[in-house]
Amino acid sequence: MSDEPQDRRVDRRSFLARMGALGAAAALGTPFAASGSGHFDRTGLRGSSPEGAREFWQGVRRTLPASVDSPAELTASEAAVLIREGTLDPVELVEACLDRIGRWDDRYLAFNTVLAEEARASARALNSEGDDAGLLRGIPLAVKDNYYTEGVLTTANSHIFRDFRPEWDAEAVRRLRSAGGIVIGKTQMGPLATTRALTPDGKITTVNAWTPANPSVSPGGSSSGSATAVAARMASSSIGTQTGGSITVPALAQGLTGLKPTMGRVSLRGVIPLTYSRDHPGPIARDARDAALLLQVMAGPDPADPRTLGLPPVPDYLTAATPRGDQEDEPIRWPTRLGVLPGWADGDDPAASGRRAFLREMEAAGVRMVEVTPSEQWDELSSSLMNAVRLPERTEPFLEYLREDVRLFGVSLNSWMQGLFLSADEYLKGQRARHALLASTLDEIFGHCDAVVQTGHVPFDMIGLPLLALPTGHRPTEDGPRPHGILLGAPPFGEERLLSIAAAWQTRTEHHRVRPPVLDELREARLLPPAGASRGRLSAEDVAERSQ
Amino acid sequence: MPDDRSPALNTTGGRAPSDEELDAYIRTRLALIGIDLSVLPEEDPDAPADQAGVHRSIRNFLRNTVPALSAYELDPQAWPPVLYPAALPPVGEERVGER
Repeated sequence: MSDEPQDRRVDRRSFLARMGALGAAAALGTPFAASGSGHFDRTGLRGSSPEGAREFWQGVRRTLPASVDSPAELTASEAAVLIREGTLDPVELVEACLDRIGRWDDRYLAFNTVLAEEARASARALNSEGDDAGLLRGIPLAVKDNYYTEGVLTTANSHIFRDFRPEWDAEAVRRLRSAGGIVIGKTQMGPLATTRALTPDGKITTVNAWTPANPSVSPGGSSSGSATAVAARMASSSIGTQTGGSITVPALAQGLTGLKPTMGRVSLRGVIPLTYSRDHPGPIARDARDAALLLQVMAGPDPADPRTLGLPPVPDYLTAATPRGDQEDEPIRWPTRLGVLPGWADGDDPAASGRRAFLREMEAAGVRMVEVTPSEQWDELSSSLMNAVRLPERTEPFLEYLREDVRLFGVSLNSWMQGLFLSADEYLKGQRARHALLASTLDEIFGHCDAVVQTGHVPFDMIGLPLLALPTGHRPTEDGPRPHGILLGAPPFGEERLLSIAAAWQTRTEHHRVRPPVLDELREARLLPPAGASRGRLSAEDVAERSQ
Repeated sequence: MPDDRSPALNTTGGRAPSDEELDAYIRTRLALIGIDLSVLPEEDPDAPADQAGVHRSIRNFLRNTVPALSAYELDPQAWPPVLYPAALPPVGEERVGER
């Protein structure tokens, strides 16, 4: 196990010089490519040392809840510990999740497809495999409906894919299953990964698990169903994709820990593309430990996705997410400088109080605060203007469908059409701006710190750097308490650093353990609208405006 | 009603294109690559998409995003284009500067 995280061992100057060549090579990658990489350690321990894994499981064991109403209330790591110890049967865990889906998902509408029988069969099969079944043995996972799943509908909530049953699993899904994970269902999403979960024609589907009686409160998009499934304890953990905030926004909206890894860290083969150069697969989890567990399994090179090749080896995320147990007063794993933007913690609202509490606790945990002030040029380079450069990348792979019938795009059509009207010189201008933004980020921000607080996801989405969202508290609303949280960014391959900070925070606080209201109680109190009642709709203009 | 005019267009010294001219450009571009909007209703706020909304959306994009992006200047010697900025070489011995 390394004594320092990977972000300290990267040569940034040579990487800046090399980016152009990698960009050209990676352009060959296509999610429509054929299957078959086979390079995977089925234990899911790639990058994790036996010592790191042991320390991780010991840490989880120490903080197990004294009792739970249902195994579905356990985090993925907690359930995994109990399964490894033989005190929880994977079948029991799967049944607990299916029971909740059966009772509640007519209100949450988190799932497009529930794989009840397949999940039961997988759980039963794992019981005969013993301890060799991998890191995620028996863990029920919700998978966003833009990941290919063999023989299972993969719709991306779009007319285009309404009958699409892939013949193979996306590489990320294949790895999760190989490590013993059980896909319990495919989750609702924004049509083609654009905005909050909707039908292709714009009707609101998934609700926020914190406000199931009020569909106007966004569950966060576009990985809405994955977040609601986990927040409502219908799956132990989940995966989403992020092109413009689609992991971190739903995580923040629903009190979860979402991690968008560095571009290339997780294969995109078998993910329906939205923007080749900005799509990122990653976990939406209950806490940092669960995010580490999933990323440990998902990460690594895939010969069929050149974006994943030639990168630093997969490090030990489990260790990163394990606070130092023997130093309770200083649980941060590595010496860390956290960049704080001027005014970031100012304000009188609960979210600002949460930000200040985070800074206080992190200082107490040994993190050194450093004020960082990005330049005006940094702001320009990461503006909504430069963000628009992503649009031709979404249009190009879908041209045949645009020619076939534009109605296939439903309410998502506008941004696909806009992508046809950016010229090549303007597109190149945007790629040059991304290069400038990255250099500016490394110099103005990460020249002074190891991780940085962020106020939005766009800059780090544009340049493929890792982002982590975590909850910092809850604020009262007329719909009941709703979570708030913060975003942290890191330099290339800084996932360990982000996980170490999140784990230190979550060791000292309980916000990530607070669950949304129990649906049965709302139902008994007659606080829910009738099942099947209209939830409203978004127009094409709404979707284009909110598009990821 | 015409969409808002972009200030960037006025700096060119030329006349800002009208809605009709932009619509002709849009129709021409779509015809060139074989995309048919006529399958959509002309104007129907209850439909998932309509022709009027698509034209309005593209006109706004052409008037606001495209000229501003085109006008943005970067040092041509400094920033070659890259698609995947976060890609890195394998970890080497060199450290990330002094900390």
